[in-house]
Order: sequence, then structure tokens, then C-alpha cells
Amino acid sequence: MAIITGKAWVAKNYVMSFDMILQKFWTSPINPAENAKWVMAGVAEEFNRENGFIDAGYTFIVAGHNFAGGGKSIEHCVTGLIGAGIQAVFATSFARLQFRNAINYGLPFITSKDINLECTTGDELSYDSDTGVITNLTNGKVFTSVPVAPFVAEVAASGGLMNFIRNKIADGSIHDLH
Amino acid sequence: MAHNSGRTAVVPGQLVWVDVHTVMTMDYLGKQCFSAFESLSPDKKLFDKERLICVSDHLAPPPTEQFATMLNEWREIVHSYDIPYFYDLGRQGIAHQLMVEQGHVLPGKVSIGTDSHANTYGAVGAVGNAIGVTDAAIAMATGKCWFRVPESVKFVIKGTWQPWVMAKDLSLHIMGMMHWNGHLIYKTLEFTGPAIESLDMAGRMTLCNMTVDLGAKNGIVAPDATTANFLKPVQKGDWEFVSSDEDAHYDAVYEVDVTQVGPTVSMPDKLDDVVPIDKVVGTKFNKAFVGTCTNGRTEDFAIMAKILEGQQIHRNVNMVCIPASQAVYLECIQKGYFETLIRAGAAIETPSCGPCAGIHTGVAGDGDIILSAGNRNMKGRMGSKNAKIFLTSPAVVAASAIKGEITDPRSQNW
Repeated sequence: MAIITGKAWVAKNYVMSFDMILQKFWTSPINPAENAKWVMAGVAEEFNRENGFIDAGYTFIVAGHNFAGGGKSIEHCVTGLIGAGIQAVFATSFARLQFRNAINYGLPFITSKDINLECTTGDELSYDSDTGVITNLTNGKVFTSVPVAPFVAEVAASGGLMNFIRNKIADGSIHDLH
Repeated sequence: MAHNSGRTAVVPGQLVWVDVHTVMTMDYLGKQCFSAFESLSPDKKLFDKERLICVSDHLAPPPTEQFATMLNEWREIVHSYDIPYFYDLGRQGIAHQLMVEQGHVLPGKVSIGTDSHANTYGAVGAVGNAIGVTDAAIAMATGKCWFRVPESVKFVIKGTWQPWVMAKDLSLHIMGMMHWNGHLIYKTLEFTGPAIESLDMAGRMTLCNMTVDLGAKNGIVAPDATTANFLKPVQKGDWEFVSSDEDAHYDAVYEVDVTQVGPTVSMPDKLDDVVPIDKVVGTKFNKAFVGTCTNGRTEDFAIMAKILEGQQIHRNVNMVCIPASQAVYLECIQKGYFETLIRAGAAIETPSCGPCAGIHTGVAGDGDIILSAGNRNMKGRMGSKNAKIFLTSPAVVAASAIKGEITDPRSQNW
């Protein structure tokens, strides 16, 4: 039983990856604490300062269609959110590149259709990763989500895909990947 | 995906580890890929150094001291692994162009790259997919990458291509049809039909290239005689013809009559805000750009040269043309296309991604209105957030540059 509780920031549709991480940071080293300093800077003016998103203190992001879209392969979008303390993102749909980056870093990107329509920034949410149920504690609404594949949970439990693979190389089971 | 993961069948939604044919990485993220790769295992052994393709394209030639240093570090690490297919400055090109042009992607195989427009590889019937540093590093070590098996959507393209209408127009037309509405997110888009069969490889590359901007996982064209002829002199490895089953299931099937598709323009700031050219004819602009992995091929400059032969680009327009690779550059010189463009008043730059992502060789400043044959036009994409980018085909850029305002290339007999 793993339940996370915290405050949510509610985004509009089409939060774009190139706004989550501004171009000048696209070649920065991957480092969650560093990447978090300017994450979301281009998404909303209130976050456009150093530590802007970190200081806001959110645990979850709730979004609509195509979260983290725009086709950037940079991983800073995901590591930046992790560094800022985000523990899960709930959205109607995700762009595929950041969806896979999120899986690779063990940050739950959870598909829950239209959840953004029934949440407001600042609402307190809880997420049960065993059942996939998301509860808005502020207004009492309950949402279901698309189940997470066992592989995704396994990667998250390893602390990300790099560790998952490191372990498999070390114990020789890398050749069993299928 | 079944074939490349040792299975007889896979179903949409399934997660599978797939054997990748080639992995591409480039100057922008390549050093990070090597660092992550080296952290995986002490023996630092690449899965196959002939199938790791390294390219200098975003930063070459370096526009700043910072990028020059990054490139130096990139070169050092690539050389330390003795990578045979390292396309560095002098032999450079845009990665996606080189992957196809040099035969590093093959029908029925899966290739990945650390840049979003890796979808281009679908032009030869490969699965081309963009991935991040983590996936690249893991593939460099293991030759494998995990995939979620996508649902498929079929586009049947019928009819006859009209004069001066290019694959880019069809691509933008589909963008306008489908929008960023989420429906195509994570899907494989298969392009079929007589108007695809008659399309050359350059056009197929343009069409598959922009599927990432539709939110799709990839775009693909089944290999045919055009593919085989294209690959024969360059292919690095063997391949077999593959195609969808007769009774393949599609999430949706869309038909487009290309006879009805004219020159098409995407309005500034939003890629899917697409209009037929007559809605914007007469719009003035001050910069013109043709290049990129979307439209920087010989065929693109050929059509421009046809239009600009004996013409002069308007004095209020600065045009930058960037061939997508050294091979394209040389061919355009040999065929006289660049002589025509230079005589008309265009600037030609050495192959690179150029100003497409706002890095160098012609970035946008405040107040610029740019008519571009690139692939993205969101605010700030090419530099200043106070610039506007109209996206269209190379033919429209060429015809419009003469008057300094958006012009339908069908309006004259060039």
C-alpha cells in the first residue's frame, strides 16, 4: 500500500516540453536538483524565476491533453520535475517522448481522462499507486487511472531504468531481456 | 516489433525489448549518452561500434566558444571509441538525413536517435523513433530498447499531385486535419496509396519526418521499388521487403485526395493552425529559410532553382538555404541549383540544423517575419519570441521570395 498525499498544480492542455525547460538549459547535465531550479519557467510567469516551481511546493501536476508535448527528447523535463518534488503527474494524455523518459526515471505519469476538469490549483490530492485511484481530498471527487504495466513498476522499484539495467548487467540476466 | 524481439506476434499496448539496428546520437546530447553508457558497466563495451552513428549537426560549425568546447569534448569521446561512422564537420549533415542517405536505416528494422525527428527513417520502411539519453545509453550497451507496441492508423493518399505541390503541403494538410487533439499520440501512422507510391524518397522523408509533430510515435511507408533503388548503392546490411498484413487492424483509416491539396501554410505560433495558401497570399515577410531535416534535400532545392531561375529575390527579403548534408550540397552545386539560387540573391550555408532550433546561421530577431520550410513554428523556436514563423514548402518560399510576400507558386508558369 503506497499512498502519496500533497498539493496539486493544475495545468492547461498542451504544456510543452520546450516551455518546461527553456532552450538555454537543453544541454545542461542531467541533475534533478539543478534541472529543477528553472523547470516550468516557460509554462507560467509565476515560475519564471530561480526555484520558482520548487518554492511553490507542489507534489502533483494535473494536466489535460498532450502533457510535455512538442517532441523534445531532452530528459530535463522529467528530472527537473523530480528535483522539484513532483511525485506524480496525472493527465488526460502524455506526449510519448516524455512519457517514456518518465518511465525511465521512475516518475509516475498516470493517465486519467479529464481529471484536470475537476481539480483546481492548490487542491489536496492523494494517489494510491496500488489501485491507481486518485482522490481529490479538497472536493471529494475520485478518479480512476490507466493501470501501470508491471515493467514500469519494476523500473520504478529499481530507481530508474539505468539502475534496472546496471543490476541486470551485473547479475548476467541482461541477455534475458525480452 | 515482433520480428525484432524474437516473437511471432505482438499486440498494441504490450511492452517489449526490441533489438535495434542502429543508434544515432549527435553533438547536442551525445556526450551525455556516452557518459551514461559508461556508468552502466565497468567494461564499457559498445554493442556494435559500426551501428552507433555519431553526427555533428546542431552545433557545427560552432557559433560560440561554449559550443566549440562542447564539440571538442564530443569529438574526443567519439574518437576514443574509434567510431567508424562519425560524421563530423567536413563530412557532416543533419543526422536524420545521413541515417537515410548513407543507408544506416533499413526496411523492417528499428533505429533510434536522440533527436525528435528520427521519425524520418520511416521513409524507407524502418521504425524510426526518438529517445532520450537513458534509452540511447542502454541501447549502446545492449543493442536493445524497450517499446510499447503502438496502435496503427492508416492514411490512404489517393489522387494526383498537382504542379508545385509537395509532400510538405500534404504533411501540413494532415496536421490541419488531425490537430494536436491527442488522437494520434503514440500511434504508428502508415502512409499508403497511389500518391505515396509515386512519391520520391525525399518526399517520403518529409512526410515521415513531421509525424512526430502530429504527436505520433512514428510514420512509415512500406518499402517498394523506389526504396530498393534508393538503398541499393548505400545500404549497410541486408533487408527484406515487409508490409502490413492484408487484414491488419487499424484504429482509424483516413483517406486524403491529394488532387485537392494545394500549397499549404501553417500560421505562426501553432503548427496545426493550417490554411490553404490563398488565405495568406500577399502577407509580407523579411526572412526566408529552406533547409532542415524536413526540407533540405536536393529535390527541395531543385524546385526552388526552377522557380528562381533568372529571377531576383526581393531586396527586403534575406534568404538562407542550408543543404541537409555534404552530399546534398555537392549535388546541388554539380546540378547548378546553388548557382541559380546564389545569382537570385540567396545565401547558402554549410550543412547543419541551422536556425531551425534558434542556434545559429540566421536566427530570428525581434520583429522578424519568417517564411520557412522547416518543421516547427512555436514562439521563440528560431530565436526571438517576438518573431513570427510561417511554415510552408520550398516551392512556396521560392515563389514568395521574389515578391517579398506570400505567393502561390501556381500563379505563374516558372
